[in-house]
Amino acid sequence: MMTEKEANKYLPLTEATYYIMLSLIEPLHGYGVMQKVEQISRGTVKVGPGTLYGAFSTLEKEKLILKIKEEDRRKSYVLTPKGKQVLLSQIERLEIMTGNGMGVKQSLG
Amino acid sequence: MRKFKWFWAWQDEAEEAWLRDMSNGGWHFSGMSMPTFYNFKHGEAKDYVYRLDYRSYWKMDQEEYLQLFRDSGWEYVEEMAGWHYFRKLARAGEELEIYTDAESKIGKYQRLLAFLGILMLPLFFAFFNLRNPPYGWMSTIQVFIFLLFLLYVYAIVKILLRINQLKRL
Repeated sequence: MMTEKEANKYLPLTEATYYIMLSLIEPLHGYGVMQKVEQISRGTVKVGPGTLYGAFSTLEKEKLILKIKEEDRRKSYVLTPKGKQVLLSQIERLEIMTGNGMGVKQSLG
Repeated sequence: MRKFKWFWAWQDEAEEAWLRDMSNGGWHFSGMSMPTFYNFKHGEAKDYVYRLDYRSYWKMDQEEYLQLFRDSGWEYVEEMAGWHYFRKLARAGEELEIYTDAESKIGKYQRLLAFLGILMLPLFFAFFNLRNPPYGWMSTIQVFIFLLFLLYVYAIVKILLRINQLKRL
């Protein structure tokens, strides 16, 4: 298991990386990731192929995701246990961020 | 048609815009036989948007890379000295960027910087190994290398400025 400190080394994730990791909770190939990110972010985040290829390489190098199969030249990835832990730490940080935001949201009009 | 056109390493966006203009005029970029020489095929005028990525061949999984671009509607036109040329028809609702956030776009320029840095090393050694020339303070070749060196420094500064511009709050 990874310590919290080790997980924190990767944080904060960029918005794109966060959504890419979220969508890799189940095995998915690149184009599937692009579609899913756009869908679950309600169109607020789009991931272009240049951005996605770079994210895949980095995440795979850091062993946060794993290549699991290949179909018609499309490679599928899924989160590793280490990746899940990093994602969990990120979500906990986001909860704090959102909580703080909610506290002042009303006074912002 | 073959056309000669010079773009410096930091002018990738100007190059993209030029290729789009050419397509708007019915001349579609079809490849390069060597750097700075662009081949065009004539046809119906189309609004192709061109995007250039920078990535070294030896470090990438080319098949996976190209598949990602194909799946998101990009046509691969050419690869030249680490630059990958893609195009897509500009239509409403189409995503026309290959880099969709500042961080990954900065990554592209950092890779370019690393490459320029590596190229600069032999130049550096050449300059100092050519000391004590038989005539004059600096030989012609040293002057040439020195000017090339200045150009590199200029290119690096230009790219660093671009990276700085891309950084956000």
